[in-house]
Amino acid sequence: MTMPLLIALLLPLVAARALAADDVTALLQAADRFRSGADALQVETLVTTLGRDGRPDKERRYTVFTQPRRRSLVLMRSPAEAGQKVLMLGDDFWLLLPGSQRPLRITASQKLLGDAATGDIATMNWADDYQGTVGADGPCPAPDEARSCRRLRLAATRKGVSYARIELWIGQARSEPVAAELYVQSDRLAKRARFVLDPAGRQVDEMVLLDALAGHRETRVRYLSRMPRTVPEAWLNPMFLARNPVME
Amino acid sequence: MRASGHMLALLLALIAAGAAAADGGGGIALRADGRGVNDRGPLALAASLQAGIAPPTPSGQALQAELRHVLRLAAGLSLQTNALLAHERPAGGSGRDASRLNELHAAWDLGAWQLAAGKKVLGWDVGYGYRPNDVVQQEARRVQFGQTPAGRPLLMAEHFDADTAWTLVAVQPGRWPDDVDRQRGAREAALAGRIYRRLGALDLHGFARHGRHTGASAGLALAWVATDELALHTSARAFRRHDGWAMAADATTLASSNPWRQAMRGGGTQWLVGGQWTGGPNLSLLAEAWHDGSALSDEAWRRWGARNAALAALATQPARRRVAAGNLAWQASPLDAPNLRRDNLYLRLAWQPTDWTLSIDALVTPADRGQVVSAALQWRGDRWRVDASLRLFGGPADAVLAQLPLRRSLVLAATLGF
Repeated sequence: MTMPLLIALLLPLVAARALAADDVTALLQAADRFRSGADALQVETLVTTLGRDGRPDKERRYTVFTQPRRRSLVLMRSPAEAGQKVLMLGDDFWLLLPGSQRPLRITASQKLLGDAATGDIATMNWADDYQGTVGADGPCPAPDEARSCRRLRLAATRKGVSYARIELWIGQARSEPVAAELYVQSDRLAKRARFVLDPAGRQVDEMVLLDALAGHRETRVRYLSRMPRTVPEAWLNPMFLARNPVME
Repeated sequence: MRASGHMLALLLALIAAGAAAADGGGGIALRADGRGVNDRGPLALAASLQAGIAPPTPSGQALQAELRHVLRLAAGLSLQTNALLAHERPAGGSGRDASRLNELHAAWDLGAWQLAAGKKVLGWDVGYGYRPNDVVQQEARRVQFGQTPAGRPLLMAEHFDADTAWTLVAVQPGRWPDDVDRQRGAREAALAGRIYRRLGALDLHGFARHGRHTGASAGLALAWVATDELALHTSARAFRRHDGWAMAADATTLASSNPWRQAMRGGGTQWLVGGQWTGGPNLSLLAEAWHDGSALSDEAWRRWGARNAALAALATQPARRRVAAGNLAWQASPLDAPNLRRDNLYLRLAWQPTDWTLSIDALVTPADRGQVVSAALQWRGDRWRVDASLRLFGGPADAVLAQLPLRRSLVLAATLGF
């Protein structure tokens, strides 16, 4: 009799846990739709870094191809970085520097070096990479504290992501992303993010990142355009980075 | 400036013709080189015996513009150009044109198949300080100011799928019928192939080359991301023959012509093992060890040192002073090689906060404890990039690296991207 009793007691707990996981996945998928909108995309992105005086310090332009199965290709478009490319295939990363014509295998830590964490611009969905729990509803973080938000506590389900843990605030009715706290592997708060929707409220127009590790420097990631685009398989071969096909 | 004038005209024509389907960019750089002459070594001794006999490269300034352009044509065809327009002014001398065409090739994008013909940069292999299997480009490594190298004339076919790529190249095809002495090193006509396979966290490369006169060689390279912070790499190559420095067998101590010449030599192996750790507060540490069987042997360097000493002794005789000076200057010939000693150790520590990169590196040759130590600082702004690099050559007096023509080299450069 002990075993059936135990099963009877544990079953609701397991079911509740599975349901909660499904809830989180569904909420993340809903939030992701405000950032990406399709499985295979070409996204033109403008990253502006602001100085301490609030004036634009640096501008970088990127073309990002996000493809199913956690595959992304990032092309650097600004004069200072023209010709650089980063390829991400799941937890594997390659970098091509201009002039070298030789793709380099890089580690997850190397991906985070330099001006912009490539993961910030190349990762357009959370549902594939994070699981977690739904916290209590409450006021959204400033400056949206007048609104009520649902809080998700997320942990990475794989090692190659830029942030090991995310505290995410989403809208209660539509699950649109509102704000996030992004934590690195050592559980230090790396960045605070705020999401700005377009006037119609359908898509994230801009992600504002406040760097908690580098003197609270502000970076604005603006999505200039998104369009569905499936790239040829060959483009996602690391050795293809040295080629120069028509990508526009 | 005729060559640069022609290139500029060509580029302008390309830009005008392809305004509707073209992309391009580049950078303008102002560069200053400060070079400190070594007071040790055969060249220093030759100069002390006869001033100006073989002056090392002087300090100087250079103004250069790198122009990149891709002209898109119909049916996946494109014309890709990279030109360097450069004017150099050595200290105490008159200016000279140092322009060159780095790349000018036609490319045909057929999806999984990619074809190219013309002058093109084609870098292969893993590794930072040395690349045994960089058998087409044979790019100079560990330079103080990185810029696009001059490509090689080639015909190339490549095929890509999701995880595999293979490449077949005929490099320097026009030199195939040339005399051996006109196609040494990277100028040699050759057929080369590479196959690449991705196996999760492991990149696997296989290489083969058949040189017009050096014959067959084959190699293998691996790059493996072991952890989020650590990447390991290794490369090895075996060759039947190679081009390298050799002293004429009948050379006397006081020769009447340079006894050193590039010649075809025997087989051997080259290998490299290395690893890079990245972590902490934007720190990275690279360590590599390599063996280059195409470099002069320890015995050859011992004989080189002994000949230097014999020539120095002969130079004390006034009647032989002039001839000894000439022979000492010729002794600098084998110092022009990618690796001087066969066994090398290399360490590089870099700190890369947001806009800055500070790096310190050291190359050591354990056989004679020679060393090259460099410190470099780079700042990257929105459009500007500033580079500063100081390199010091040293070691015990009999170390080969301590007897190079230069004792130190300082490079300052500002580059504006467009």
